[in-house]
Amino acid sequence: MSDNNLELQQISKEFPGVKALDQVSLTVRAGEVHALCGENGAGKSTLMNILSGNLQPNSGSIRWKGQEVQIPDPIEAQRLGIAIVYQERSLVETLSVAENIFIRNKPLNRLGFIDFTQLHQQTKGLLERLGLSDIRPQSLVGSLSVAKQQMVEIAKALSQKPELLILDEPTASITEVETEILFSIIRGLKQQGVSVIYISHRMAEIFGISNRVSILKDGQHQGTFDIDEVTVDTLIRKMVGRDLQSQDTENHTQDEVVLEVKGLQGERFRNVSFQLRKGEILALAGLVGAGRTEVARAILGADPVLEGEVLLEGKPARISHPKDAIQQGIGYLPESRKTQGLFLDMSVADNVVAANLEGVAERGVLKPQQIKQEAEDYIQQLRIVTPGSQQKVLNLSGGNQQKVVLAKWLMRQPKVFIVDEPTHGVDVGAKSEIYAILNELTRQGVSILLISSELPEVLLLSDRILVMWNGIITAEINREQATEEEIMHYASGTKNMYA
Amino acid sequence: MNRASILQGLQDRVVTLALTIVVMFVVCSLIWPTKFPTFDNISLVLLNLSIESIVAVGMMLLLISGMFDLSVGSVVAFSGSITAYLMYYYGMYTPVAILVGLGLSAVIGLVNGLLVAKVGINPLIQTLAMMGIVRGLALMIAGAGIQNLPADFNAIGQTKILGIQSPVWFMLIIVAVFSILVARTVFFRQFYYIGGNEKAANLSGIRVDRVKIIGFVIISSLAGIAGILLASRLGAALATSGRGMELRVITAVILGGASLLGGQGKIIGALLGTLFMGLVSNIMILARVSGYWQEIILGLILIVAVAIDILLKKRAGTTPKKYVQQATSVASPKQVQA
Repeated sequence: MSDNNLELQQISKEFPGVKALDQVSLTVRAGEVHALCGENGAGKSTLMNILSGNLQPNSGSIRWKGQEVQIPDPIEAQRLGIAIVYQERSLVETLSVAENIFIRNKPLNRLGFIDFTQLHQQTKGLLERLGLSDIRPQSLVGSLSVAKQQMVEIAKALSQKPELLILDEPTASITEVETEILFSIIRGLKQQGVSVIYISHRMAEIFGISNRVSILKDGQHQGTFDIDEVTVDTLIRKMVGRDLQSQDTENHTQDEVVLEVKGLQGERFRNVSFQLRKGEILALAGLVGAGRTEVARAILGADPVLEGEVLLEGKPARISHPKDAIQQGIGYLPESRKTQGLFLDMSVADNVVAANLEGVAERGVLKPQQIKQEAEDYIQQLRIVTPGSQQKVLNLSGGNQQKVVLAKWLMRQPKVFIVDEPTHGVDVGAKSEIYAILNELTRQGVSILLISSELPEVLLLSDRILVMWNGIITAEINREQATEEEIMHYASGTKNMYA
Repeated sequence: MNRASILQGLQDRVVTLALTIVVMFVVCSLIWPTKFPTFDNISLVLLNLSIESIVAVGMMLLLISGMFDLSVGSVVAFSGSITAYLMYYYGMYTPVAILVGLGLSAVIGLVNGLLVAKVGINPLIQTLAMMGIVRGLALMIAGAGIQNLPADFNAIGQTKILGIQSPVWFMLIIVAVFSILVARTVFFRQFYYIGGNEKAANLSGIRVDRVKIIGFVIISSLAGIAGILLASRLGAALATSGRGMELRVITAVILGGASLLGGQGKIIGALLGTLFMGLVSNIMILARVSGYWQEIILGLILIVAVAIDILLKKRAGTTPKKYVQQATSVASPKQVQA
């Protein structure tokens, strides 16, 4: 027992109407990487928030190194040696890296002022130890790439010298390079006897780094396994509680070109040309920051086009605002549903009709009954789990929120549907449902431009793949010929078909 | 009704405020049976709040979209002053002078809107600056005040219809029209989406900039109407009128259910907010409480009302505050923003 750093006993937490955690017991050993997986809404975040002192359990106890403890607030968690890196960034963008890392406990000089020389040196030392020497302590966090920001977040957690480090989806927004650095950091921590709780949807990572894995489903603990004893299939079955439906991988591409982009140039990409055919899924693969989202936003009229043109069904499209694009049959599912896709404080119904207000109105006057009806149709059709169409979207799980955004665009019946990271932070079950929806759309003749950083997703869904690197297209590959390795070469700039 | 739906109902500020007003009315009628529930007293209360209510309708609309306008008090003074100036010094026909006054008020709103939406100046800063500029203009135009205005102008604000003063009718009509527009039309519904999430609204095909600009034009025009009504009712244009009105109106609108974060509120809430404040000041007078207390008490009421609101929401668990902040402050995974 004594090698258990952390023991959770019969932890339960209820929110009004939901049992988020139901008598969950879990142990984490010293020097172990303990993976935690489960669908969105399974209770992972609630459990982590209890450990970090943001939430209090209704019942159950926490033992930390053999002692029963209470964690009333994040400061106490920190005092105990528990550090957490949230999925959502918590850095102050207008302050420097050093000031963010030492947000408390800044070194002071004799007069009681902040000793910046000391601060920067300490930060530099820390970053070097972590293999992040290319990040300057003086840089403003806002000026760093998202991947670098995530690494600063991890450095900040490690500066507290934790004995338990909780990582919540740490690789969601970083590239392969940073992932390698992160894994070597984690291996180092393991040797020092630090425990790590690693939350992720990515099976490859779970199998690559962890010693044991625990599964949560609907707030209940489904079991803990040594990583050698389980397979991906058993994990998924435990998480989802059912076998995933197999994907329809039929190619629905027709001859007709629906969208053509010629020599498009924006602030962060140049010379982008491609054709999208009716019923085709064309993937834009590449690393975060390669310029894929910017291309989509330019097509949509959300960002200015500096050069080049967009043709819809052979005719030049006049687009200066997303409204123009939408009216001409283009839909865009943005990459970040909370900041760009959803009206969190509004109801499911309000969200579903958001892009189609004219469609639920007569001569400019809204028809509430029709709004409700449309919303309920989509709730049923997409199997959105919600108490009703008047529920605030805020209270839905990630996968269901994403389905609400999908419903918003399905209602517009777009000819061209641009989906940007459609399954980002979505659980395995909802993921396969979203794939099925996209496939069904192509069967109906909708053309899809898929932007995704997840290569398995690209390989599974797309009919053709364009790879972008540093603002240019470096390859066009057919699905049959594509492999993850090859795409990665083009995505990281080590190969270029057109150079 | 079960407990949950009662809790839900209590979270709707329109409901709680309307109930509060009814209770105040009943209690005051019992305390001052001869003074309070009389036709004269109530129509005086309504007359006093009519001008501010018209401005409050615009403020509610702006707050729904997450913006506000501090220049309204100055616009009230300006529109009355310029209209009076044109009639008094240039003998301009009353309807023409009024149209010029309203038109210039709308232009002030247009400038606010363009600078906020197109240039990206924060509404607080933009309208704070405009508040000073327009007040200065009003003082230049009206100086110590312009009196002896034409009779047909004075008639606009001094007529009684069915025994009720015309500014009250203006208020009721404006509140009714905007209530219906905001609740039911596609165009005004867009204000809620913008207040809910501006980026998502833009990507959903709402022309956010255009709607914002129109919002500022509407509130400034309403302030223009209010200013002309006020000058007409007083029979004089004063450059100092509408001083501090912007904050009183924001107070009323917040009491009426708006949130500074946007996305919330109903037009009727604006009327209930000003009505509540009007009743409080009427009660103070009836109770012979010093006027200074009024400000103190209104301040306290505002704090209590908002605090109760937050506590009720926490209790019902509908929106734990932290969750809201977390969800709305999430940085986009990539840097490009709408």
